[in-house]
Amino acid sequence: MSAVFPSPEWLNALSDKLNSDKKYAQIAKKWEGDLLFFIQPDDRLTETLYYYLDLWHGTCRKVEVQSKLSEEKPAFILKAPYGNFRKILLGELDPMQAMMTRKLQVEGSMAYMMRNVPVVLDFVRCAREATTETY
Amino acid sequence: MQPILTVDLTTSETGQYIVPDGWERSFLGGASLAARLLYESITPDLDPFSPEAPLLFLNGPLSGTAGPAVGRFVVCGKSPATGLWAESNCGGFWGPELRFAGYDGLWITGASQKSVYLWINDRQVDFRRAGRLQGMDTYRTQEAVRQEVDAPRARVAVIGPAGEKRVSFAGIFCDHGRTAGRTGLGAVMGSKNLKAVAVRGTNKIPLSDRETFAALRRTANRELLSDTVAGVARALGTAGVAEYADYMGGMPKKYYSQGSFEGVSNVSGAAMSETILTGVKACHGCVIACGRVVELEDGQPRKGPEYETIVGFGPNLLIDDLAEVTLLGEMCDRYGLDAISSSNIIGLAYKLFEDGILTEKDTDGVKLSWGQPQPARRLLEMMAAREGLGDLMAEGSLRFAQHFGVGEEAVQVNGLETAYHDPRGTSGMALSYATSPRGACHNKSDYFLVDWGQADADLGMEFYDKHAGIEKVGNIVRHQNFRSLCDALVLCLFSNVSFDVLVNMINAAMGLQNSLEDYLRVGERAWNLKRAINNRLGLSRENDRLPKAFLKPFQDGNAAGYVPPFQEMLSVYYEARAWDPVTGRPTRKKLIELGLEEIADDLWGVEENSI
Repeated sequence: MSAVFPSPEWLNALSDKLNSDKKYAQIAKKWEGDLLFFIQPDDRLTETLYYYLDLWHGTCRKVEVQSKLSEEKPAFILKAPYGNFRKILLGELDPMQAMMTRKLQVEGSMAYMMRNVPVVLDFVRCAREATTETY
Repeated sequence: MQPILTVDLTTSETGQYIVPDGWERSFLGGASLAARLLYESITPDLDPFSPEAPLLFLNGPLSGTAGPAVGRFVVCGKSPATGLWAESNCGGFWGPELRFAGYDGLWITGASQKSVYLWINDRQVDFRRAGRLQGMDTYRTQEAVRQEVDAPRARVAVIGPAGEKRVSFAGIFCDHGRTAGRTGLGAVMGSKNLKAVAVRGTNKIPLSDRETFAALRRTANRELLSDTVAGVARALGTAGVAEYADYMGGMPKKYYSQGSFEGVSNVSGAAMSETILTGVKACHGCVIACGRVVELEDGQPRKGPEYETIVGFGPNLLIDDLAEVTLLGEMCDRYGLDAISSSNIIGLAYKLFEDGILTEKDTDGVKLSWGQPQPARRLLEMMAAREGLGDLMAEGSLRFAQHFGVGEEAVQVNGLETAYHDPRGTSGMALSYATSPRGACHNKSDYFLVDWGQADADLGMEFYDKHAGIEKVGNIVRHQNFRSLCDALVLCLFSNVSFDVLVNMINAAMGLQNSLEDYLRVGERAWNLKRAINNRLGLSRENDRLPKAFLKPFQDGNAAGYVPPFQEMLSVYYEARAWDPVTGRPTRKKLIELGLEEIADDLWGVEENSI
């Protein structure tokens, strides 16, 4: 199942994908940490969106569209203007390229992230496969 | 710009050199301007250890301005390791302090009869006897000089015992293990009997438009604070990339012969942050603070190792003990040795021992066993003191291997040992190493970062697969030009700020109105100028080569089975650079196009019309 990004349906589609993808389950089997997409407005998006995913041992335990930044900070925040998320999800921008060229900010434990780059990259693969189109 | 302080150590005379305005605009500063300033004096028959050999410390137009990671200076001259152009830049506080003292550079010639150090207190220069400092390590020397000049805030650039002994990979050190490590300029300093240069300055650095610059500086530093690359360096130090380098197949192990090693995650920046890290250190005005402070069992605060030290004394020797790696790195710093070259040569010794080319007879009874740190410690002592086998090793990996008839086993280019970014993991490093102006350098184009993802569209770069070949050559040329610009600014490679901010900062600092393309042209000009210097010193296309190890695929790891298509890439590179494929020189046309007419005449002859 896939859906249009950004939408609650897309977030659910991503959750379904993560919970059904055998490769992700294997690669992320030791991953422990929730994550927030912090989608900033730009010329195509008028409001800030917060998409939350609770990722645990190769599964997605919960997703939620949040109205604001939660006081309880997730383990990781991926922050970028909508257009950059869009390019990543459509395969027009490599996620590592985005991180290394100021197109995508990552907040959280850098030690954990650097030890788990393959998990992050496979998460992006799943997110891409859960995306049919964008606004 | 401010004048350059000139010092003749033979006569104890000092003076001031005013850089011609045209050169300042054409080369900006740092290593690029140094190449133009030293062009006439770095000749084929110049002995790097002769009194005539220059040693030029130079800042850039942003050095010391508290901009985005701009606290660096560079040292330039002729390398005793390679016989070619030498440059090595260094962080810390020494460079900015020299600018505060009223000088943008320090140009040393001559040689003192006895060991001395210089004390530059604002614009006053004093020659001091350094006899009691001889043999002293780099940290103790800094402290001793500060006490002697009675200036606790003085910054001191020093050499260690290895520099005094003219070890060909001795560096110049300051502050908390900050190092101009590469190309052996510490040995040049040692040959001049110059143990240290202490500086204290209290003046403001000149800026053409201070108000505009201040606003840009705030923007740039804010960008750095939110940048992910800088964030990794801040959180984990430069070794933070260790696991990723390994994942990409670009971290060599067991002296470049092995692609995997289970112990990598025990010696990474992440491992350091989770175990022995107690604090961080920053260079002047830097918001990143990639320097590490660690504590081992003795509770003493020590410098935590950088990426190159971690790999060189870790996976390179199959050692996975972070405390041992830390101590080996500290030994290099204290002796005044470049950690990359030192660990590379020690790795070579381990390999030659395994191959039976070296025996315990050669090593004074030391058994060189992979995974064992004790032999590495002993070899460091022997190299720094030029004792026994260490005397041979002190000449660098190429001459060391050649002595035993196996020169091709040395993993180096033109006499400079390679760093720990393997072109079998990221193919762009093949050209980076082979065409760098100072031998196998990973910083003149740190293209491994581009192959990992730092292919910045704002710089006109595309993102290619880590194992792409000729298609990425144009990118590499552009990246080399950009890094050559960074070397003119003496900008830290972690200064990952947007290009419009960077361009506007240079303009505000220097009173210019240039574009990014104008500044990339400055980088290209300097790249070709350094090439011309090396051509004049005898370098030709035959020197643009890779060591044998890089042309043999790994059998394991994440880059197994791959070797870069080096010759094809090199041919396309020559076309992209407009270099003559026969001689390896920049063509006359290219040099003239870059405004280097006098260099073109020198290289090709005044009457020469061929392009």
